[in-house]
Amino acid sequence: MTVTKAQTRGFFVGGTILFTLVFIGLTLDTHAKLAHRTRDDPVTEHVARGLSVWGKFNCENCHTLMGEGAYYAPDLTKIVSQRGAPYLKQFMADPSQFYSEQEHGRLMPKLGLTEQQIDDVIAFLDWVGRIDLNGWPPRPIHVQGSSIRGIPGVEPTGGAGDLATTRGKALFYEQAACASCHAVEPGRRLVGPSLAGLVGTAEGRVKEPGYQGKAHSAVEYLRESILEPDAYVVTGPAYGADGKSFMPSHYAKSLSPAQLDDLVAFLMTLR
Amino acid sequence: MTQSSQRVAYYYFLAAVLLFGLQIAFGFMTVAKYLGPDPLIDVFHFGTSKAIHTNLLLVWLLTAFMGAAYYMVPEESRTELHSEKLAYVQLGIWLAAGVITILCYLLGITEGRKLLEMPTILKYGVVVVMLMFLWNLFMTMRKTGRWTTTEAVLLGGLVSTALLFLPALVHFDDFTLDRYYRWWVVHLWVEGVWELIMGALLAFLLIRLSGADREVLEKWLYVIVGFTFLSGILGTGHHYYWIGAPAYWLWIGGFFSALEPLAFLAMTVYAYNVLRRSRLGHPNTLALHWTVGSSILATLGAGILGIAHTWPGVNQWTHGTHVTTMHGHMAFFGAYVMISLAMITYALPGLTGRTDEERQTKLGLLAFWLMVGGMFGMTMAMAAAGITQTYLERILGLGYLDTQLKIQVHYLMWLGTGLIFASGVACFIWDFVSAGLPPAARGALEAPPAPTPAPAPAGAPGPEAGPAAGEPAPAPSPA
Ligand code: HEC
Ligand code: HEC
Ligand code: HEM
Ligand SMILES: [Fe+2]
Repeated sequence: MTVTKAQTRGFFVGGTILFTLVFIGLTLDTHAKLAHRTRDDPVTEHVARGLSVWGKFNCENCHTLMGEGAYYAPDLTKIVSQRGAPYLKQFMADPSQFYSEQEHGRLMPKLGLTEQQIDDVIAFLDWVGRIDLNGWPPRPIHVQGSSIRGIPGVEPTGGAGDLATTRGKALFYEQAACASCHAVEPGRRLVGPSLAGLVGTAEGRVKEPGYQGKAHSAVEYLRESILEPDAYVVTGPAYGADGKSFMPSHYAKSLSPAQLDDLVAFLMTLR
Repeated sequence: MTQSSQRVAYYYFLAAVLLFGLQIAFGFMTVAKYLGPDPLIDVFHFGTSKAIHTNLLLVWLLTAFMGAAYYMVPEESRTELHSEKLAYVQLGIWLAAGVITILCYLLGITEGRKLLEMPTILKYGVVVVMLMFLWNLFMTMRKTGRWTTTEAVLLGGLVSTALLFLPALVHFDDFTLDRYYRWWVVHLWVEGVWELIMGALLAFLLIRLSGADREVLEKWLYVIVGFTFLSGILGTGHHYYWIGAPAYWLWIGGFFSALEPLAFLAMTVYAYNVLRRSRLGHPNTLALHWTVGSSILATLGAGILGIAHTWPGVNQWTHGTHVTTMHGHMAFFGAYVMISLAMITYALPGLTGRTDEERQTKLGLLAFWLMVGGMFGMTMAMAAAGITQTYLERILGLGYLDTQLKIQVHYLMWLGTGLIFASGVACFIWDFVSAGLPPAARGALEAPPAPTPAPAPAGAPGPEAGPAAGEPAPAPSPA
């Protein structure tokens, strides 16, 4: 059997026309579905301005967002829920408060964004973080720290075992991503303080003369720390500004009461 | 070389190889920043350096494609170019736009969409250049009304490249749509219409270098480009997995993009078969190296390294890591850099009035092996970086910055193998320049400009006699 040139030309032209039409059809369908399927909130002016800040400052040639962009700096898809706006504002004004080339290997340059531009780009990143991305990323991507479980030096001491602590541990490392701000090894500072020996710390905190929160015990203090980070702001290098903690304040909304119990049960193993 | 106006191609090729050198210089600065610390962080950071590196790649490849078209169209249509002057003016505007773009980036003026960073107003400049270019080619072809299949496929690729640039001019406030249409340019260029350009250049070179039967080659050319669109159009879906588009793209994109390597594989089989049966030992063996090398490295870089991470189950872990870098480098090099260098190497003796034998230099061969070897090394270094990153950062959950510290050694390897590659580029440029200027320009330096056509080189295949030995008359228009 031999094919002729007319036949192969037919294959090319016919195939191209067919697949172009299918592609256009799917594109129209994608447009139609985007309107209601992939996000819960519309693009506001604020968000649109944030997108232009994102372009103007060339963020995408260092960072990835939704996994697209460049590989010099961390992925920012879920950054607003992981870090919270107060911290990000402070960070973007001057990244060198938090990172140095010596210690972290990389430093984001001070890009000179205005306060308005910082607000806009955070609104944009927040909006992107809530798009339905078909389940990506399958595990949280962290800027620093580690959610490696069960390797030496990372495994917290104390009793693992009961179900609540196991669930709490998973929350700490994965869904709630506490681990991207808190190490559990002693002395390792990420955005927040190390939580090594936390139970002892908590018992000490409620007895401090300057403490003005409502907690009386370690357990209560840990709850309060998660639900109302501003109730007590640990003094230390850039943990907060103007009495406001850099720890996100959304956990009262984003964690269920049962999850909170699990998380506290896990934190209580950090002796 | 059969038409004197083909000489415009020389200047396009000259610009292309010089910009290639510049691209590599910026590549070095970029990888050095991965290693850090970066003393220039506040004036010239990674993002600027990398944008210039990738934009220069696109610019010089397009310059080489334009040169290739200006070389091929007069020869295939057997007539002089419609206007040589227009071709020179076009090159001038094109390079000016390129220089302004780089200056803009250095000053921090950018649109900041990966690979399409050029400020909008300059993008309109690109559209004007494209129109001048295509006009010149169409008017040339109209003169004799004769065009070959190879030529038609090349033109099809170039026209579609221009058309698919248009989505780059559109802006959306919705980030999902912004991404959706960015890929119409980026993906549909490299995994769609540029494959037409590559296929046409490959066919042209194989016909010229092997004396194979044009009818047979052009018949199979349709099959190759048929495969390209059959898989590549819906294959765009492999970029729509995680951008907020509907989930059906996971299946459609996965399935069709997994078929994409077929087109590249077909090109290798095509080249292999043609050469096995070839009767003609063409003296330009360097051009043959680049031509065959291109089909093989494109299959490896685009086909095999592409399919390695195209399935959604894999891509969800590797997406946005150095696995992409690894694939992107070898794919671009194998498919588009090598085919451009093949065309340049093939055309250079004729353009500069040398014989093919004279131009088979040791330096040229060294350039080939250093580049191929260097690119293999770089791909290995990036693969090591990418796989380690995927495992530590994405699967185990180690922080991004901590992971980067663990893969520094791979950046060192990347830099080292990059040096090998760069020395190959330096050899290539040196070899190109040492061929000298086209005879007409060389004469002009001594005497007032004389509009004499370049003398046909002794060793070029069948000058004036039209088609090369064993080649039938050009096929009629496919219309
Ligand atoms: C020159 C490359 C570069 C550019 C451009 C850049 N970044 Fe960064 N960015 C980094 C690096 C590196 C880090 C990691 C933290 C560090 O080492 O400073 C980072 C971290 C971040 C973080 C996370 C900080 C944290 O601790 O969680 C955010 C948010 C961020 N960048 C936002 C932006 C935005 C928004 C833009 C554009 C306006 C931008 N970046 C432009 C390099 C860059
Ligand atoms: C954006 C980074 C960030 C994230 C994410 C974060 N924290 Fe914090 N956390 C901080 C900072 C900064 C402090 C210190 C300031 C303060 O006291 O609020 C802190 C303080 C704490 C403290 C008090 C420590 C002490 O020494 O008194 C606890 C307990 C705590 N965080 C638990 C958590 C838990 C549990 C999670 C996850 C649900 C979490 N954090 C997520 C930044 C973060
Ligand atoms: C010569 C042809 C090709 C070239 C030049 C090329 C180049 C590139 C480049 C530069 C990127 C990064 C783009 C960006 O992030 O902006 C990329 C991504 C990608 N390519 Fe290709 N490619 C080619 C062919 C293929 C083929 C045939 C396949 C599949 C079989 C493929 C699969 C992919 C995938 C899955 C990605 C996305 C990576 C990610 O998730 O980050 N490519 N390619
Ligand atoms: Fe693609």
